[in-house]
Amino acid sequence: MSNTTNEPDGHEGHGGRTPVPMPVARFDDPHMQEAATHPQRTERIIALSFVLGTLAVAGFGAAYWVDGPPWVLAVTFGAGLLLLGFGLTAWGKYLMPQGPFVEERHRLASTADEQDAMSAALVQRTGVVVKRRRMLGGLFAGGAGIFGIVAIFPLLRSLGPVPGNTFDVTNWRRNSLLVDSNGRPVRVDTLQVGGIMTVFPAGAQNTEEGQAVDQTVLIRVSTDDITTQPGRESWGPRGYVAYSKLCTHLGCPVGLYEQQLQLLVCPCHQSMFNVLDGAVPNFGPAPRPLPQLPLKVDSSGHLRAQAGYDQAVGPGFWERTTR
Amino acid sequence: MMVAAMGLGGVLSLASGASATTTPSSSSGVGGISSGGGVGAGNFSSGVSLPPGVGSPSYLGGPKNSGGANASVRIYRTVGGKRHLVAYGSSAITYKTPPASYVPLGQALFAQNCSSCHGADAQGSAIAPNLVGVGPATVDFWVSTGRMPAATTNVVQANRKPPRLSPKQALEVAAFVNSLDPAVPYVPYPNLKGANLADGADLFSLNCAACHTITGMGDALALSTFSPSLHAATAQQVAEAIRTGPANMPRFTGNLLDSQLRDVVAYVTESIQHPADPGGSGLGGIGPVAEGFIGLLFGVGGLALICFWIGDRA
Repeated sequence: MSNTTNEPDGHEGHGGRTPVPMPVARFDDPHMQEAATHPQRTERIIALSFVLGTLAVAGFGAAYWVDGPPWVLAVTFGAGLLLLGFGLTAWGKYLMPQGPFVEERHRLASTADEQDAMSAALVQRTGVVVKRRRMLGGLFAGGAGIFGIVAIFPLLRSLGPVPGNTFDVTNWRRNSLLVDSNGRPVRVDTLQVGGIMTVFPAGAQNTEEGQAVDQTVLIRVSTDDITTQPGRESWGPRGYVAYSKLCTHLGCPVGLYEQQLQLLVCPCHQSMFNVLDGAVPNFGPAPRPLPQLPLKVDSSGHLRAQAGYDQAVGPGFWERTTR
Repeated sequence: MMVAAMGLGGVLSLASGASATTTPSSSSGVGGISSGGGVGAGNFSSGVSLPPGVGSPSYLGGPKNSGGANASVRIYRTVGGKRHLVAYGSSAITYKTPPASYVPLGQALFAQNCSSCHGADAQGSAIAPNLVGVGPATVDFWVSTGRMPAATTNVVQANRKPPRLSPKQALEVAAFVNSLDPAVPYVPYPNLKGANLADGADLFSLNCAACHTITGMGDALALSTFSPSLHAATAQQVAEAIRTGPANMPRFTGNLLDSQLRDVVAYVTESIQHPADPGGSGLGGIGPVAEGFIGLLFGVGGLALICFWIGDRA
């Protein structure tokens, strides 16, 4: 506010506006000199920067025209912008007058008379004019209120469809045929001991829901029928075991099978499931074993499910009955 | 074509696996069910006995491999009245057993390099597994990648290192071990011509990327084990690892056809090992942490320095 001292007296407020004369720059004013100690040399450097930047930008255009490799596009584009920007910045920084500059202005505050007149007008209009239109105000409040309620609908809809029972039930049923991601049925000789593949119930392998909730890892751990847990004596024919591929922690695909350690590892948070012991987690944040799919071999040598999963697959949720 | 490519001596007879295994009820696969602890089913020469638990290798042929470019072929040699399977496979992958003439040299090499842990007859010991009946591909993989002979037994997992034995010596050792109890899989020779890289990428992301990562750099697994980088592996070693499942790696057999195996091998040796890296550098291909670090340090840091220069008075 150093300029207030230059304000001519007696010319305050809107009514007293007087153009303030611009100060005349004098050539010997130190504020009007460039900062560069060697202006000629600086100018040459900036000119060179502009020339090179122009060449680079033109080169980018040419490279784009002939569909050049990405790195050429990147280098020419980046160098062009960098050189032009450098030149501009250096021009302003070293060759332009450095200031500081002072721009005079009139006083911004209203006069006491103007302020009094404004408050008188406000008081008068509020009492009479604004309060007169109660009906319009009520109508607008009604419309805005309805709009506010309606605006909640898309918000609720964006939460997705109501899941229904899809959290609890998969497409695995009694006699579901095991197929791979290409729909090829899995035969009893498809895997050897130490093999793993991802399987789906036939028909669901290419559906979004099938890939989301039905994905199951099929592992062959021995040539004999294997029992992983009491009550699952018939679930592992010919050494085949099948577990839901959805981690019980947060639903990541548990696809890392270590065949010597007999562990299934989740890549997200390193939960480890014991393949031979019903996929009980023995490390990591997973709270439950992976649900096991009971298998059987049909008369033609194909693997089928004895039944669907006996519990919800994937991570826990509020309404889950078997936590 | 295949017979000519083999160049094998002896009496060769060509048997089409496709014609023998077109009906599921008589295929080697179902034979594998009933045999369980299994000797090879009828399709195989009596000279080849399959190791217990392996069952019949369905990828030798059968309905899934019959016909077209995938037609499976088997080559036998008759020695002393017995037919020995010497090669099998398809136009995509040919599996060959090392010639019998390699056995004596292989035995000497085995005695020098392997027997201190695995025993002179390859029966294994407290610190090393039994190698009898593992098949030539397994032996060739471990020796040709330099993992065996191991530098020390005091590690969780043998790592790849410059091989001590030459590729031919590795085959000689494989020939000796296989002579103790002939078994499949034989050493695969992939023919990458006609491989479909797009299909290979799909199969890689479905079957391999979970452990080896999508860039093939490998990653840590459970209990100090790790999946190794794929960037130094040869096409043959990739095929061997997939078919035999070394160490903690699962083995992929009937769920990966020979043509699909060729696609995966081609994807690894071409796209994985020679990435396009359109940004100029893959930064080791180890994921967003490295990329974010470089971006923050040099990108944001460089911008901050430029801002300082612009804002500073001359």
